[in-house]
Amino acid sequence: MADGLARILSKPKFDAETFIAKLSGDGEDALLDMKANVHMLNDETAKALKQNVYKNYSQFIETAREISILEGEMYQLNHMLNEQKSLMGSMMEMSLVSDRAVVEGPKGEEDQKESPEEETRRNLAFLLERVEGCSNVAEVPGRQLVHDGDLVELDAESHTQLQRVHAFLLNDSLMIATWIPNRRGPMRYRFVGLYELDGLAVVNVRDTGPVKNGFKILMFPESHMYQTDTAKAKRQWLDALEDTKKKKASRDKQKKEAAMRLAEQQLQAALASPGEADMSKSFTDDVEEEPVAMDRDFLQADWLEELPEDLDMYIAQRNFEGAVDQVEKVNEYLTECPKGPALKEFRARIEHRVKQLTDGLMNELQVSPERSLRGGPRAARRAVTQLIRLGRSAQACDLFLRNRSAIIKYNIRQLKFEGATTLYIRCLCGVFFSSLSDTAKEFIKAFPGHHGCFSAFVIWSKQELQSFVSIFRRQVFESKASLSTIADCVQLAKRHCQELSSIGLDLEFSLATLLDTAIQQVVEETRDQITEGIKYRAADDLWRPMNHLSQADCDKYVADIAATGFDIRPYVYDKCFVMLTMNSIQFAKICVTFSDDLLKLYTVELEDFIADSLSSVYKSQVAHIEQSLKSERLNKEHSLILKNAQFLLEVVMARVESFYSDRQVPFPAQLQAINAHFRKLKAMANK
Amino acid sequence: MSSSTPSCFLLNTAMSKAKTQQPAVIHKVIMVGSGGVGKSALTLQFMYDEFVEDYEPTKADSYRKKVVLDGEEVQIDILDTAGQEDYAAIRDNYFRSGEGFLCVFSIKEQESFQATQDFREQILRVKNDENIPFLLVGNMVDLAEQRQVSVDEATKRAQEWKVSYVETSAKTRANVDKVFYDLMREIRSRKMEASRQNNGKQKKKKDSRKKKCVIL
Repeated sequence: MADGLARILSKPKFDAETFIAKLSGDGEDALLDMKANVHMLNDETAKALKQNVYKNYSQFIETAREISILEGEMYQLNHMLNEQKSLMGSMMEMSLVSDRAVVEGPKGEEDQKESPEEETRRNLAFLLERVEGCSNVAEVPGRQLVHDGDLVELDAESHTQLQRVHAFLLNDSLMIATWIPNRRGPMRYRFVGLYELDGLAVVNVRDTGPVKNGFKILMFPESHMYQTDTAKAKRQWLDALEDTKKKKASRDKQKKEAAMRLAEQQLQAALASPGEADMSKSFTDDVEEEPVAMDRDFLQADWLEELPEDLDMYIAQRNFEGAVDQVEKVNEYLTECPKGPALKEFRARIEHRVKQLTDGLMNELQVSPERSLRGGPRAARRAVTQLIRLGRSAQACDLFLRNRSAIIKYNIRQLKFEGATTLYIRCLCGVFFSSLSDTAKEFIKAFPGHHGCFSAFVIWSKQELQSFVSIFRRQVFESKASLSTIADCVQLAKRHCQELSSIGLDLEFSLATLLDTAIQQVVEETRDQITEGIKYRAADDLWRPMNHLSQADCDKYVADIAATGFDIRPYVYDKCFVMLTMNSIQFAKICVTFSDDLLKLYTVELEDFIADSLSSVYKSQVAHIEQSLKSERLNKEHSLILKNAQFLLEVVMARVESFYSDRQVPFPAQLQAINAHFRKLKAMANK
Repeated sequence: MSSSTPSCFLLNTAMSKAKTQQPAVIHKVIMVGSGGVGKSALTLQFMYDEFVEDYEPTKADSYRKKVVLDGEEVQIDILDTAGQEDYAAIRDNYFRSGEGFLCVFSIKEQESFQATQDFREQILRVKNDENIPFLLVGNMVDLAEQRQVSVDEATKRAQEWKVSYVETSAKTRANVDKVFYDLMREIRSRKMEASRQNNGKQKKKKDSRKKKCVIL
């Protein structure tokens, strides 16, 4: 019936009105019937729905997880695409920079304003690439390329053409380089001269006679004449020179105003020995001539010529291993190379690549929010290995550990705080300590033989432990959990710490130190609470044996107490009476939990403190008994009191002692002293 | 890369062409003087026989022209400097390249005449030669009614310096050729004199330079 109804209701053409109309024609009974049926159907559907949800619950969860993983992957993909895009951009700039510099003469300034440092570095790196022998030019900080272009050098006297040159106008000087015939590799030009802009006289040579588009550069004692291809190019050169000179002049003026005295000194020095500088320059040039030739020959090998380009390619392809292989190879090769400026320059070019490579690798390890951490330790290991090979183990170590920190943080954040504190702490400890041990294992694999890095790892572990403890403390101590819960949690953490020592990392003492004060505080609080309770109960203790009225009840009670570890059958009399007071039993229970908790928290440092806390609790109870014995009012109850005292000081104490012996901790003197109290009490009662 | 071969070829042909055409002797003349006195106007009148009325400050222009000096074909290389050049170091570099100087002032502007004193001193300092070919030129005689610098005054200064004083007009071309040719003749005679004493002097120079090297 219900099935049929369901089919009718779920028909796509179902028309409620005609259905009702037809139904109402059949009379009241049929309607009531139908109502019941509909109710039934409703219930069944709800049940079926619930069941379906349960059945597919694990699938729901799985799907959700898959989706989140997919999301992460998409993020990573997005990141990679962006990276690739920027790579493409930088490659474009690399190959076109000379054209750009010409086209964007005035426009380039805006770019430079945005990131002058970056621009400078790129420009000068590009110079290093193209011009042989200019490493000292590129080393000057703040130097920028303003304009460059091909020129023909003419003889200043006869206006005959001498050679093709490429001139680079920097923001403080003009560099002339000749074309290298039969060039190999990326080097196109050979450095000829660098002329400071102050004092550099530029002369526009009017187009008279056969020579067109010429201009002269007068720099005593040299004077050079150059020719451009077009009148427009010449105009650009003259304007650029004029402009740059003016800018430099104003810059110098500012500097001068800022450091007047310094500038004056320098000026005097410069005036004093203009000739000397020249002479010394030519002198050193002579000296260096020979090694230049030597190391240049050495660097003539084909693979060396192509190395910078190869490195670029490897980096672009993210083939970091290949790039590092090349770098190692060249470093090995270059150690045998005679020292000279050409080597220095070549090295500078390689260094530039290595820096790029290092940056790329570091980027790999960088923790960025848009990047998924799913790659995990293995992905990081790749980058780390290469960085170590490049001799950057310190950075690699730092980045690696930072990466791990982020992973731990992420994992901890994934934990939901729900249910009991102990449960959460169990998960927390599981996540934290397994991450820690993973990292340790990974670290040992990634940094074999780099013992310096291990201390960094230890420090890192300690820091991580600190942040772990701060979470731990917040959850455990500040949540006003009971001492038992706290003790359980602390014990959990300790046990995990002990497991870590199997891989050679002992954090237990650090954990203990970090938790020490919090533990003491909470123990003191609990102790005071218990003492308060004892005093409160003592105030209205009438020392009556417990009467359970029937034997069945009494047996039940005895069984209950037995569950806590005490056999009170010897104290039962008259079938339903127990010789122990409620107060004594309660104290016994409290005392057992308290001592158990305390011993869970046991450390050598806390030994005395634990014993003191325990004995102070005991003492307050003993004091109550003593008080009672002295009391006139309770004279008749002496035997009962003594019985209770015997129970507390012998049976309960024995149990406390057993906790100690279970943990192989010597039973402290403070408690032994209390133990001996019983005889004193007995004597007191007999008096 | 690929373009290097054809341009090299071009270069070679141009070289041989240039070599055959140019006369060997070049006299280098430098125009000095305050801004706006007519250095460029004189140069342009000499070069192209034209007078440029509108004034546009020069930066530094160089011109070259083939001329016949007393029957001999020579080249004159004129460097027209900027009157407003601010940097002494740069001006020094211009002056160093010159063999003779036309120091121009405007007869209707006393300051420009006073400034010639500074130019003279600077030239002597740079060239380190009391007898450097040098002409004091008073320009703009076509505007004689606005004269501020008298002929006597200028002649007196020229005599002090042991140089000639010539008054010119770039507009009317009066004495324009004369100043350039006079200066070229001076330069030529100086060069001849120098070549006569050449051997001994050069040796001396070399010696002194060597000494300097040793000191360092």
